[in-house]
Amino acid sequence: MSNIVVENLTHTFGRGSPGELTVLEGINLDFTSGSFNAIVGTSGCGKSTLLKMMAGLYAPTDGQMSLDGKEIQGTARERGMVFQQDAVFPWMNVSRNISYGPRLRGASKAECKDIESKWIELVGLTGFESRWPRELSGGMRKRVDIGRVYANDPEVLLMDEPFGALDAQTKERMQEELQKLWQVTGKTVIFVTHDLEEAIFLADRIVVLSARPGRVRHIEDIHLPRPRTSETRLSAELLGIKRRLWDMLEH
Amino acid sequence: MAAGHRKHSRRILLGGLSIATVVSSYIWLTNLPGNNPSLLPPVTDIAEAFYVNITKGSLFDALGASLFRITLGFIIGTSMALVLGCLIGWYKTVEYIFDPLIEAVRPIPPLAYIPIVIIWFGIEEFSRVLLITIACFLVCIVNVVAGMKNVPKVYVDAAATMGATRFQIFRTVAIPAATPFIFTGLRIALAAAWTTLVAAELIAAPSGLGFLLQEGRRYFLTAQVMMIIVIIGVCAFTMDRIFRTIQTRLTQWSEAHE
Repeated sequence: MSNIVVENLTHTFGRGSPGELTVLEGINLDFTSGSFNAIVGTSGCGKSTLLKMMAGLYAPTDGQMSLDGKEIQGTARERGMVFQQDAVFPWMNVSRNISYGPRLRGASKAECKDIESKWIELVGLTGFESRWPRELSGGMRKRVDIGRVYANDPEVLLMDEPFGALDAQTKERMQEELQKLWQVTGKTVIFVTHDLEEAIFLADRIVVLSARPGRVRHIEDIHLPRPRTSETRLSAELLGIKRRLWDMLEH
Repeated sequence: MAAGHRKHSRRILLGGLSIATVVSSYIWLTNLPGNNPSLLPPVTDIAEAFYVNITKGSLFDALGASLFRITLGFIIGTSMALVLGCLIGWYKTVEYIFDPLIEAVRPIPPLAYIPIVIIWFGIEEFSRVLLITIACFLVCIVNVVAGMKNVPKVYVDAAATMGATRFQIFRTVAIPAATPFIFTGLRIALAAAWTTLVAAELIAAPSGLGFLLQEGRRYFLTAQVMMIIVIIGVCAFTMDRIFRTIQTRLTQWSEAHE
């Protein structure tokens, strides 16, 4: 039951000033409950801005957004976000990072323990519970990031190029594991990326934004069978979609 | 691990050597023919001054008086700096009100307030503690504000999107992220407290380490002056070490400990 609706959303930086810049224009989108969605576009198309607005970190200049019919205003636990940068709190060990959200709401020690062990196992960090983030690799820290947001039990997960900084191999592994997490939890994911293969591999539906100002140019439904594997990446179907979307981004 | 260990022992060895060199050079100088012991008192004289001042009880009195002033001034000054610094660093309105004031006052050396404090409050205990408080406050608050402003935005956003309230973000993100800065502020404040203490006691005090220094100068007791300098050095060093140990404990997470 988590339907995000974006209606007529427009955003202009520095409105009224000579350097006025419209980054998003007339965006209408509807993300169905439990779906995996990707938003792609060339850099500067405002995809990241759009995601941060859904998170409530910025307010749009114009238009409405709602989650389950409730207007989106400011940040809330229902809309969790994984950032491109490393957002793991370096002053908390892995376990405490994972249970950060529940602790904000005064969860008991026992509840936190349960949540920690469940998510640490699901994101593959068993054995690293009491490590400091600085002792982990970039890929492992991303696991903490993702586990922490899932452990907070949001309705929707907003992901802003979460694997952008990882090496190719780690990235592919993380994509497969994210797919698994999504299948296990059934929570809506909105995933921003500029990597077409990543988008096709992960998503049920891809929103292609045009370059500045960002408008919805195309919506592509992906019907590749799940679970998708490294074989999927080489399939003719995936490559065909990739070529088509690539041309669309070019022109 | 072994390499780290070797590095550590080399550090202790070289550090010890450098101190030993300075001390033995001093001993060598005092033993030169024609040395004037009123200018360069031999180590034995310094030790004797130490012994005499301990048996008289004057050293403990002075130490007690000085440590009391330092502790009180430091606690009041840094507490105020912590509270106001956090508010300035976290709330724009508070920043706009206080920042110009603090920026204007900050470059004035705390010692410049000695005359006005004496004119207003006399040569009283209050004046000395007040001066140390001012010194600690001013050097500490700058670091606290810097710490609060340097909290990476992505941590604040991450906490917010997990449903943290503004106050929860302050408590669970801003404070821990600023801890290294806050500790730097505390340690600089401690150094400033010693400077101000000795200056204030040199000018106006019936007791304290600065008073013993002044007494030594007045009666040409050079050995006593030297002895007090060493005592101040040892005290200031020990206190700083204690803070450093606490800091290391509290910021184990930081990259600096890798």
